[in-house]
Amino acid sequence: MVTCIWHASTRDEIKGLKAGSSCCEAATASYNNKAHSLTITVSGNIRAGGSNMPPSAATKVGHTPPDGGWGWAVVFGSFISIGFSYAFPKSLTIYFKEIQEYFSVSYSEIAWLSSVMLASMYAGGPVSSVLVNRFGSRPVVMVGGLMVSAGMVLASFGQTIMHLYLCVGVIGGLGLALNLQPALTIIGTYFKVKRPMANGLAMAGSPVILFTLAPLNQFLFDSFGWRGSFLILGAIVLNCCVAGALMRPVNSNTQPKIELPERNRAAAVEAAASDTSEQSADLLTGENQDESKRQGCLHTFIDLSLFKHRGFLIYLIGNVVMFFGFFAPVVFMAPYAKHQGIDEYSAAFLLSIFALVDMFVRPATGFIGNTKWIRPRIQYFFSFAVSFNGVCHLLCPLLPGYTGLVVYAVIFGFGFGMVCALLFEVLMDLVGAHRFSSAVGLVTIIECGPVLLGPPLSGALVDIYGEYKYMYYACGVIMLVPGIYFFIMHYFNYKKLDEEQRQSVAVGLRPCEEAVKLKMSQDGNSAHETDG
Amino acid sequence: MSASWKQILFQILLLVSCRYINTKTPGPTPPPLVPITSLPTDERSVILEGESHTEKVELLNPVNLALACTWTGNQNKQPNITGFWRKDGDEVENSQVTVQLEGDQYKLKRVFSIVSEESLGSYSCVFGSEEAKIEFVLAAPQIGEVRDKPIVSYVGDSGVIACKMDETKPKPITWNWYKANGTDKEQIFAVAEPPRHVIKNEERKTKLVVYNLTEADGGLYYCGAVYAISTTMSHVELKVISFQEPLKPFIAILIEVIVLVAGILLYERCQSKKDYTAGNGTIEQTNTMTQGENNGPEEGSSVRQRKV
Repeated sequence: MVTCIWHASTRDEIKGLKAGSSCCEAATASYNNKAHSLTITVSGNIRAGGSNMPPSAATKVGHTPPDGGWGWAVVFGSFISIGFSYAFPKSLTIYFKEIQEYFSVSYSEIAWLSSVMLASMYAGGPVSSVLVNRFGSRPVVMVGGLMVSAGMVLASFGQTIMHLYLCVGVIGGLGLALNLQPALTIIGTYFKVKRPMANGLAMAGSPVILFTLAPLNQFLFDSFGWRGSFLILGAIVLNCCVAGALMRPVNSNTQPKIELPERNRAAAVEAAASDTSEQSADLLTGENQDESKRQGCLHTFIDLSLFKHRGFLIYLIGNVVMFFGFFAPVVFMAPYAKHQGIDEYSAAFLLSIFALVDMFVRPATGFIGNTKWIRPRIQYFFSFAVSFNGVCHLLCPLLPGYTGLVVYAVIFGFGFGMVCALLFEVLMDLVGAHRFSSAVGLVTIIECGPVLLGPPLSGALVDIYGEYKYMYYACGVIMLVPGIYFFIMHYFNYKKLDEEQRQSVAVGLRPCEEAVKLKMSQDGNSAHETDG
Repeated sequence: MSASWKQILFQILLLVSCRYINTKTPGPTPPPLVPITSLPTDERSVILEGESHTEKVELLNPVNLALACTWTGNQNKQPNITGFWRKDGDEVENSQVTVQLEGDQYKLKRVFSIVSEESLGSYSCVFGSEEAKIEFVLAAPQIGEVRDKPIVSYVGDSGVIACKMDETKPKPITWNWYKANGTDKEQIFAVAEPPRHVIKNEERKTKLVVYNLTEADGGLYYCGAVYAISTTMSHVELKVISFQEPLKPFIAILIEVIVLVAGILLYERCQSKKDYTAGNGTIEQTNTMTQGENNGPEEGSSVRQRKV
């Protein structure tokens, strides 16, 4: 703890100190009425102090995140939105066979429907970010829900396959994009201390909703055929609007928290301290800020200065490589099992085991990520999760028989769940909740390529060699390399961030002292005011 | 004397002419010969060591099929044993023979003429009094995947029903479609104008498209794979429903969503009103007391935001 005490003789001087000097506003001030003295305490995030918050986190959102209360309802809303975004395209595959026969098209043409939907969902990321930055999460999610619903209802009247591509693929995909981004962003505004837990819970929506949608879709298909099912799915997806209604903007209802009790004061001090670090980074990169202002029109919509952000670049490069091998093993799990001679139902059961493990691992990962040992160094946890996936895929082909495949499905479920739960948490940790919505928009559109190309490339590997094991080796390597890359890069990143923080505390104190000396000399002869 | 010469000459002449007459008279036409020997021949044999065995035989064309049963016998190996043949439960006439024990085995063989659907079925060779039995099930290739759930289609829409023969089985000559009419099956023919039923045949797959569906079009449809020997059938059910059916759950869920959204927004408005009236009192108090503490970070944050 570094404490500096300034004495000011008048109230005006105190105000002047607060408004003028940049570091002092981050400090808590207590005015001693009798002694006419003002004590300003600045606490730096130096090891001796010990803080539970990671050095790079920055709130910068103009309020203290409530970390509870209505936040849990928002987590539930995000759970539903995220669940629908990820699970909906996957669950539609049940209808493909009948639609293929109805329109007399080939299998690849119908598989395009999934691809178009996924591509729209990822490409719509920046659009979503822009809208969230402008309007906030709630209206965007509600509009997204309405869009998907409208797309499905229109598709149920479709007469050609093109009609389906447009309605389900483009409109539906865009609607899902408008669901995904705001749901992730709003968690950052509601949670700070418990954010990994909230993220883990919200991301658990994907396997849970997939688990419910799969048998539901089968039931709808048997009762109503594909047209009726699309109509009813259009209604079911409207529940995203309910989720959107839950996403109350943080500032409208809550008052700014007043630091009366000791506990909250400590939290405020810590929040202030982490703000100092981010702010000091701004001081050091002040030039960058001026440049970004000059970018003008585009910058008000989406924060392109993120491309100069070290952490963001590390995350982006690692993720782009990782996503090539991330989804392919899921897609090929059942065909691989059938290739080994296992019957269709047992192969489908493997996927159920995988989804079940995934469902429980995600909140558990969030909980672990929240503990005081992991939270400050959560990037290492993410690197571990990615490497774990890589190792899992390298060992998979070595396990024999059906039991081996079940063991692989369980371990893969662990790995997949860990990475998914932490995927957006680490991004929030790196760029801060304020810039998160722009960051996630840029990340999803850039990841669009690997996500779409990954499974077909893996399929090509399988076709060339006739065996699945080479594909698993390739996926294992593709995931292990980013894992190790993350470990190394984040080691350096943490070192640099700690350095920057130490520097910023030192830099921040100097202008303070100068400003105070100036003021003191100016008002040296003014009379003391007495306060009533 | 010249008279006897004339008589002999006359008789000779008669003989010669009679012979000619004989060959000219049309005799009764011989019956047309049944070409039993023109059918191809095939053989199926089974060696039985236990008490019974069933063998499936897949046939495409009419054939003379020789079925051979070999039985290793049981504990008391009698030198002679009776054996007979059965078709579909009924004993084949004159099939009972006495079988000699040859090299520790009993052999029974018979040739059957399989020409049509009636000839197909279950053929069994029986040793002794039901001591050993081998059953041969003769059938045309069966359609493997039978869809047990109905295909659902809508009134006014078109319905598509498909049938498929396995890749491993031989391909049929053609496909026929039938609609169930009570207990009968009525064959469907593709009528050109107006196009109501369209049949698309592709080696191992067939598709029946029914346009402008009505409620009456619902029911059981049969697809038949035609082989030289017989036609194998498979059935699919078509269910035709009106568009109101899925509309009911749709509207129910829509109402649920509207109720929930309205409920959540109203609850929020009530809560914010309460907080506003409660908060107003406390805000004034806290403002005076902790003005220093409060305004500091708040003003600072606004300054910070302006910078960004």
